Amino acid sequence: MSGISDTERMITLKTVEGTLFDVKSSIAKDIKTVQAFIDDSDDDVTSPIPLPNVFTRELSRILDYLNNHHRFRSDIEKADEEMARYDAEFAKSMSHEELKALILAANYLNVKDLLEFLNQTVADVIQNKSVEFVRNFFGIENDYTPEEEEKLRNENEWAFNGVEQD
Amino acid sequence: MERVPEDCFAHILSFASPQDACSLCLVSTTLQSMADSDCVWEKFLPLDCQEIVSRIVNPSLSCSSNKKHVFVTLCRPQLIDGGNKIFWIEKNSGKICYQLSARELSIAWGKCPLYWSWKPVEGSRFEEAAELRTICWLEMNGSISTGMLSPKTLYGAYLKVKIADRAYGLDSLPSHVSVELPNYKSHGTVYIRRPSHTHEEWLEIELGSFYTGLDKEVVKMGLKEVKGVHLKGGLIVDGIEIRPKMV
Repeated sequence: MSGISDTERMITLKTVEGTLFDVKSSIAKDIKTVQAFIDDSDDDVTSPIPLPNVFTRELSRILDYLNNHHRFRSDIEKADEEMARYDAEFAKSMSHEELKALILAANYLNVKDLLEFLNQTVADVIQNKSVEFVRNFFGIENDYTPEEEEKLRNENEWAFNGVEQD
Repeated sequence: MERVPEDCFAHILSFASPQDACSLCLVSTTLQSMADSDCVWEKFLPLDCQEIVSRIVNPSLSCSSNKKHVFVTLCRPQLIDGGNKIFWIEKNSGKICYQLSARELSIAWGKCPLYWSWKPVEGSRFEEAAELRTICWLEMNGSISTGMLSPKTLYGAYLKVKIADRAYGLDSLPSHVSVELPNYKSHGTVYIRRPSHTHEEWLEIELGSFYTGLDKEVVKMGLKEVKGVHLKGGLIVDGIEIRPKMV
């Protein structure tokens, strides 16, 4: 770490529950929703920025992720390897519910790299899974009539040889 | 729990395989319109897809066909190039596969009716296969440009044959199989005989494997048994199949 970042300006974020998080402005840059808020404010932002859609648990994980990625990037040589290892652990440590909650938070906060990583993780989770699994996973209601669904299933039959049972 | 937003689905779909895109289209009508869209399926199709479609013998596709329909059609083997090759793509990966017909191969003495006869054979997708009457010089080769295949992929080449009941002399000596590129050679030996554990009529003899880089190179694949002076007969040759190898 360079000396400059130690004296970096801090920004305070406030979750739904009212928990406050102090974040370096270099990290806040990656959180586009927060950065837009800062850019739109005429004065220096001193009071906490409220995040009405983000819960403490998700924000703390997101900040963990961003802090770690910033740390990896400061060491160019090992960056890719360590990041890949960290990401793999991070993906493994999430339950499906946590994963979805994080997507919602990352989407609201507009954290591009993290969102990309989470979406890739979802794609891995639903890979080779049945339609019912995918519906349950996303909590989406089936809005097909039985006839429509039957017809579509027949049309897509070719793809489903060798699908795992849930 | 709130729903995952729609633009996340578009993003998740960009990481999905063809099968996953099919499961997603069955989930709900909203997801269907996203999962069946051309921009999802276009990236599963080979780059020069339009050119390949134009070579199909009995075309059922037009330029306006939606991309998913093109993909599904091409997953089924299609006769191309006047019926001398079969083209298809693997449904899991969209990777290109070919079978060259016996007519596309260069078979030593193949035009001489004393040694080889050409006729329709049950279970072949081509008009004719080549049946060995009798010969002592058994040699056949096929070639394909890596430019016709999917790049950066490990391929295997397999000779598709049947062994007639009257066959003789085919496994007295091992045959020599080879795959050659300008900077790569693989050689091996194989006995042409029916494995005891199979009831399949058609057998596959692996000729070798090769890796397609980004350059266009000619791959030569062949089998020969010319060391024995004995006569051999009863081998029915359907062609050479070239498809990605499972690792």
